[in-house]
Amino acid sequence: MGELVGWVFDGLLALSLVLLAARVVASARLFESIVLFIVFGLLMAIAWARLAAPHLALAEAAIGAGITGALLLSTFREIVTDQPPSAEAPKVLVYRLRVLMALLAGGVFAVLGWALLSIEVPAGPAAGEQARALVARTGVDDAVTAVLLDFRAYDTLLEMGVLLLAVLGARAAVAAQPPASGDDLWIGGEGDTPMVGALVGLLSPLIIIVAGYLLWVGAYGPGGAFQAGAVLAALGVLLRLTGRLVPLPRAGAFQRGVLVMGLAVFSLAGLLTMATGRAFLQYPEGLAYPMILVIEVALTLSIALPLVLLFSGSAGIAAGRSQHSP
Amino acid sequence: MSQPALFVLIAAAVFAIGVYGLLSRPQLVRRILALNLMGNGVFLLLVAFARRNPETIDPVPHAMVLTGIVIAVSATAFALAIVRHLYRQTGEVSLGEDRPR
Amino acid sequence: MNEASVLPVESHPGLVLLVFIPLLAAILSVLLDGRAARSTAVVTLAGVFGALWWVSAEVAAASQVRHLLGGWGAPLGIELMADGLSLAMLWLTWVTGLAVSAVAPASFAGRAEVSRLFWPLWLTLWAALNATWLATDLFNLYITLELLTLAAVALAILGGGSAALRAGMRYLLYALLGSLAWLLGVALIYAGHGVLDLHTLGVGLEVGPATWFAAALMSVGLMAKAALWPLHGWLPPAHAGAPAPVSALLSALVVKAAVYLLLRLWWWGLPALTGQGVALAFGVLGAAAMLYGSVLALMQLRVKRIIAYSTIAQLGYLLLVFPLASMAAWQGVLYHALSHGVAKAAMFLAAGNILMVVGHDRLAGLPQAMRARLGPSVAGLVLASVSLMGLPPTGGFIAKWLLLRAAFETGGVVWVSLIVLSGLLAAAYLFRLLAMLLRRPPGGEGDGVPDAHGAASLPVVLSVMPLLLGIVAVLLGFVAAPLLELFLQGAPFVEAAP
Repeated sequence: MGELVGWVFDGLLALSLVLLAARVVASARLFESIVLFIVFGLLMAIAWARLAAPHLALAEAAIGAGITGALLLSTFREIVTDQPPSAEAPKVLVYRLRVLMALLAGGVFAVLGWALLSIEVPAGPAAGEQARALVARTGVDDAVTAVLLDFRAYDTLLEMGVLLLAVLGARAAVAAQPPASGDDLWIGGEGDTPMVGALVGLLSPLIIIVAGYLLWVGAYGPGGAFQAGAVLAALGVLLRLTGRLVPLPRAGAFQRGVLVMGLAVFSLAGLLTMATGRAFLQYPEGLAYPMILVIEVALTLSIALPLVLLFSGSAGIAAGRSQHSP
Repeated sequence: MSQPALFVLIAAAVFAIGVYGLLSRPQLVRRILALNLMGNGVFLLLVAFARRNPETIDPVPHAMVLTGIVIAVSATAFALAIVRHLYRQTGEVSLGEDRPR
Repeated sequence: MNEASVLPVESHPGLVLLVFIPLLAAILSVLLDGRAARSTAVVTLAGVFGALWWVSAEVAAASQVRHLLGGWGAPLGIELMADGLSLAMLWLTWVTGLAVSAVAPASFAGRAEVSRLFWPLWLTLWAALNATWLATDLFNLYITLELLTLAAVALAILGGGSAALRAGMRYLLYALLGSLAWLLGVALIYAGHGVLDLHTLGVGLEVGPATWFAAALMSVGLMAKAALWPLHGWLPPAHAGAPAPVSALLSALVVKAAVYLLLRLWWWGLPALTGQGVALAFGVLGAAAMLYGSVLALMQLRVKRIIAYSTIAQLGYLLLVFPLASMAAWQGVLYHALSHGVAKAAMFLAAGNILMVVGHDRLAGLPQAMRARLGPSVAGLVLASVSLMGLPPTGGFIAKWLLLRAAFETGGVVWVSLIVLSGLLAAAYLFRLLAMLLRRPPGGEGDGVPDAHGAASLPVVLSVMPLLLGIVAVLLGFVAAPLLELFLQGAPFVEAAP
């Protein structure tokens, strides 16, 4: 019986994912597409949970749906010109092109589906089996955290570089503007009510506690630096929206430090292990857990700040007013 | 059909829908949405395959997807920053078939 | 050469330093926010040079050097590996990096925000390039590809205005699509084989439809990133619209990373698939790029556009190793990658100088304005062009001569005529460019007299750098033997018996 319920649930979930994806693409209104994409992200989080990937469920909900959704919505607010479909091209041409594109996409689906279903479980020595077998030799109990911060820590390190580049790239886009036209950044928090103030006051410490818990629990189960960083970033977005964080045209030394801290601590930890005659990021016996914990704390902050800055659309942020305007 | 197989096919469908969106909707935010759908398709694929053997779940794809999610949000944020500033400067929200000299 | 009797050195620190010296410099440049950029660059260049020298010595002795990151090793962990091919690209990156770092302060003088952003972006790009040349892990390569994409697009839009933003957006869309295609391919490979390491994958590969599809997806993704025909549309506006030092980096290095991975993927990761059909397909694509890029270069009206279309054409040569498939072809392709990189950097820096002094780079308006301060730049452009045309005694000559030899030996008349035709087309579009630059003004007036446009002064370092790079492009013709000996370590072909 339980199995049947699971089947029906999975079937409905799968169907909803496909329909939502189709609607995101097909909807005539951009706003609707964005909202549906956020819903799609939330359903993905449920799919991760169904597929026994709780780490991903947390990250998807916070980053995939939450932060990405916030970024899309704030962009939408600036770009309110939805192009009516008739303006794009003559209709017959569009129709023929669309049919062609639909056929192409259908072909991608057919070939991909066929290729996927032809795949058999590999016989040889697979990375996943080794990972499970060797978790005990790392400083952590959770296999995913072990992959992220020990077995394939170099991936995670370089990924922090991608996040840093996104911040630098967004600033490069600002620098591409003529100097006169800059600095029309929104401050946020217009029409703040006492209700909002009370809610933010209540939520902020709660979110910080949740982030701290997620960070700590990562060594044993679902959680870790990414989830904690994403939750902290969500707090930053909330504070930015309500005007409690305001944009700055330049980042101060402290914020620049936080921006690169994850990358710097991670790199220096690796070079330190190498200086003691080991491989890069080959943690010494007994020191693995403390080193991973220090790296994770640095990563958490260096994940949260760039995401907040990218949402803010500014090089820096500062604490703003926190008055309860009438 | 097993649960992983179901989600593998869904992943392929979401990826293909993303491909269609990328080709058919020139508005830049929509193109970015389409790329995100395609990315989600690949992520779903990886995680569904990680569960082929119900006894043991492969942690490596989970780590890959977690990395992928952060990279996707980074690329999306960068792309949206360009879109915003392109709009501020030119009022354009799509590239069209222009070949500026 | 390439004897298995010498065990590879495990976990050589030099490989890690090659990635982390530039990365730490990038971190430092964010912290210092544009201050002390010159000293950071000097220390980085010296450090990378030292590490590169160290690793080169090891590769010369042991054919390849590895580093098992975290001490785990494949298939679970990630490995770095350097062989001759990696070294060729690492050295090219260093030489181009030296030139670009030298001209950047003068090039961005007076634009504080652009200069502040240039250093962390360029240093991260350098780390990402070196990481790509050393990586053997398919998922790790997805991350380095994304690093390259974000850094390259951010640099391309730096200080460029709306045209650059538009070009950058187009570049970003192509590149992100390419990354996703690569990632989907990686997912298929992992699902079917359980490994991500190129070398582990290459040993005893069982080929199914999913592997073929994965290989095709990854190749298409790389082609979009390398601007190989027919996915080249983004390159000319992006490369022509970027600041000159950035154009040099993008054309000499970044697009080459994608072609490099194409070679790594097929010859190292999927050798069992690299048969006649695949070879022919890549040969045809390469030929299309060579001819299409050359013809379009011949039709351009601006200096930077000619150089950008020339990049599309010249990248096509690199694919000839697939159909020719011999040691001579491999040598030719390797040497072409080097000499094209140096020549292209020289040409873009020279074009940047023209733009700076004359105020535009339209061919039609150039001759009158050319005299006074652009002498060394034009001289550099001439030397680089001579190398790109494949005339002796330059590096480009060695490359094209080796390719022609390979085509005679293993290719047949079609490939020989393709190389000859493409060489003639290159000569045509470059002579057209040079003729415009060197033409005497009609009526003989103003010889040696700077006209009104030439009043803008050009810093010495900007002025001489194209010439220096042009000289390097020529010198490459004289040092081919020792360089090739090093860069052929670990090549996927063996010398044919004489």
